[in-house]
Amino acid sequence: MAMSASQMTLAGAFLALTVALGLCRIRGVSRAVAVYLPYLWTFFLVFTLIELVSVTLGIWTLAALCFLALREYFTLTDLRYQDRWGVLAAYAAIPFMFYFVQIDWYGMFIISVPVYVLLVVPFLIALGGKDPRGAVLSVGIIVLGLMLLVYCVGHVAYLARYSTWMAAYVVLAVAACDLLAYLFRARDRSPLRSILLQLLAPAPVTTGLALLLRPWTGIPVNHSVALALMIPLLVAMGCHTINYLEADLGIERDRLHPGRGQILNELKSFVYVAPVTFHYLRYVLDVF
Amino acid sequence: MAARSTSTSLQLLLHFLVLRPLTRLVFGAGIEGRAHLRGLTQFILVANHNSHLDLPLIFQLLPLRQIPRTHPMAAHEYFSRSRLLFRSVELLFGPVWVVRGGGGGGAGADPVAAPAPEPGSKAGPSPEAAMAAMRKHLRAGRSVVIFPEGTRGRPGEIAAFRRGVGRLAVEFPQVPVIPVFIAGTERALPRAAGVPIPLWTRIVVGPPLRYVAAGEQPGVRSAEEAEAAARRVTAELERQVRSLAERETARRHRRRERRPPAPLVAVLGIDGSGKSTLARALAERLSTGRRTALVSDEVVFFEEGESLRLQPLLAEQVRRRLNRRVKTARSLESYKIPKLAELLLRDRVAGQLLRWRAADVIVLDGCPVLNLAAWARLYREAEYDDDACTALLRAITGRDTDVGRRHPIFRRFPELSALARLRLIPLRAPDAVMFLDVEPAIAMARILARGETQQVHETEDKLARLREGYLTVCRVLESALGLPARILDGARSREAIVAEALEQLGSWHDPRVGAPDPSQRTPPPPDGRSTHA
Repeated sequence: MAMSASQMTLAGAFLALTVALGLCRIRGVSRAVAVYLPYLWTFFLVFTLIELVSVTLGIWTLAALCFLALREYFTLTDLRYQDRWGVLAAYAAIPFMFYFVQIDWYGMFIISVPVYVLLVVPFLIALGGKDPRGAVLSVGIIVLGLMLLVYCVGHVAYLARYSTWMAAYVVLAVAACDLLAYLFRARDRSPLRSILLQLLAPAPVTTGLALLLRPWTGIPVNHSVALALMIPLLVAMGCHTINYLEADLGIERDRLHPGRGQILNELKSFVYVAPVTFHYLRYVLDVF
Repeated sequence: MAARSTSTSLQLLLHFLVLRPLTRLVFGAGIEGRAHLRGLTQFILVANHNSHLDLPLIFQLLPLRQIPRTHPMAAHEYFSRSRLLFRSVELLFGPVWVVRGGGGGGAGADPVAAPAPEPGSKAGPSPEAAMAAMRKHLRAGRSVVIFPEGTRGRPGEIAAFRRGVGRLAVEFPQVPVIPVFIAGTERALPRAAGVPIPLWTRIVVGPPLRYVAAGEQPGVRSAEEAEAAARRVTAELERQVRSLAERETARRHRRRERRPPAPLVAVLGIDGSGKSTLARALAERLSTGRRTALVSDEVVFFEEGESLRLQPLLAEQVRRRLNRRVKTARSLESYKIPKLAELLLRDRVAGQLLRWRAADVIVLDGCPVLNLAAWARLYREAEYDDDACTALLRAITGRDTDVGRRHPIFRRFPELSALARLRLIPLRAPDAVMFLDVEPAIAMARILARGETQQVHETEDKLARLREGYLTVCRVLESALGLPARILDGARSREAIVAEALEQLGSWHDPRVGAPDPSQRTPPPPDGRSTHA
């Protein structure tokens, strides 16, 4: 089976990331690389699987990532004993949602959390719990986790299902924004200047990436520029929001490891970018 | 022999292909300190116990070759309820069965050499027989896993260790003891739950410990010495596991605990009765072992008798300005509106203290609700009686839904109607009331002795009417609203009055304002968050 140029590029990128990750593990690297390289590798693993092996396998690998993120989130939250069936229902929602991605039932995918999860989770909590105190908060905790970590991140799977390169562009643009934001924060600038730099400085990089990948993404120039300007703003919004929630969850930036906020921290930039970019491409550009 | 080797191969295969991947996928199991196990061929592994997941997680720690050579102690009466579960546990972990609190095996029985107890049967090895089996395994160069708490304790808590582990450590000083702390299993599969939920777990492995003192010959101890050493070693191991738990302590999202609102103690009295002095003294004295707030001409917090400076409240600043204006009013009519506003703001300040400042007791110098009810006598003497006072209090506090807006009391007291229309009532009712009763003549003498400008109501006649109003309020509070209202003789010395007030509060049913007890102090969380494992 002959591989196309785009498939070879994707596979090459994945191999390069694998080698880089292996070297990092052996030699030890700075925190920026240690934090951002694994998720870049995971997403490129998904894209490579979609392009070279099977769309289904790629989608379900991303489902596993969402499961890990949700598990970490639930570990950090203060859920009551009575919420156990609600939590199990939230986990059970993941295969349903990714099955909707697999069979391309977008209507059901977007209403599953706001309608069905919000109906089922409180029902199960009410069935299982004798003590109603804190039930409203529990429903909020469970549904928020599902919304941010499965519904929002799940849009990457939907994007990749239609166009692997569009999804790859989003991932690379987000990675560029994250890396630049890390570098600006490390320089200890004033908060206002740091925020402005986070918003403005990635724009040339994301625009360059959009134009570079245009032959494979197929996004017109004007929309490429619009997306390239939109992504840094969405990354900043996502980071700000999740940082705020992380503070409440007790996640300490200098003690990140799996189970203590690392996965959540790595996915935070996608929370706003993935659904908004997908909707832009679907409804404004009308490509899907 | 062939059967044994087949069973070992199957055990390793199940661990490698099923149990480890499944446990890792569902429960994560972040492991810290695995290096402490490296190179050890034999050990006594000691861990806290909160869940049935603890055992599979501990076996995740072990190198594969150690799995068939490691034996945990497991409760026979629990696992024998299901034949499948019993056989699975036996195959996967090769446990030493024990019947907690008894058993039919007796001390002399040998559960290693003897055939394995049958599932479903209540008979199984006693704790003594199980300990003998553990010793036999250790003598054979094998390792053991012990949960010295004896059973799965309360979620997230480490119970006191039992002495068996200390005895083994003392009897086998050459075998290292490894303390392990497991976190997260108490939430993933707590004691009462039947179905586990996927959550991250953490295992912290401490450095190996050897309990043999320099120059000591373990074999030549007397029974008493050995028992004392076992007790010492058990305590040390418990300390080690607890210290691992403390290291693992991390901040996590916690819900704000629902605290009952702080009780409001109102001190009433006519001007010159000494109520401000009494309120301040009460706030100071009640602050032993807790934090009290005084709402008087100023808001002051007390802790251990010391006044604290806190960030000022906006409502309090406005109230103080208004209070200055009230004191210079020239007629009862010009006094009425600013005083009413001042009382409403005083209620708001008390509400803000209840909501934000986490005071344990709030002492009010005067009380907006009761002042309004008592002062009605001054303005509407002809219409004021016990029934009117009862209806007024019920309307102002919103306690009685029968006293709705159509009640005649609203027609008799138009000010009340105005307050209701502006949605300024209901106001908070106090939880306890002290009325400092003095003769108006004595009160006037004290007011004149202060040398300050007299307020418009500070005449003997008006003070007498106010006193009657307050007495009516106290009577109604006790009889109609069921609130404790005590009348204190204000003509006595300050110390005597304070002592009686404290005694009265101590006899009250609410322990929050009773005799101060430092052990009951609950430090207020500044931001509603606390630190937990």
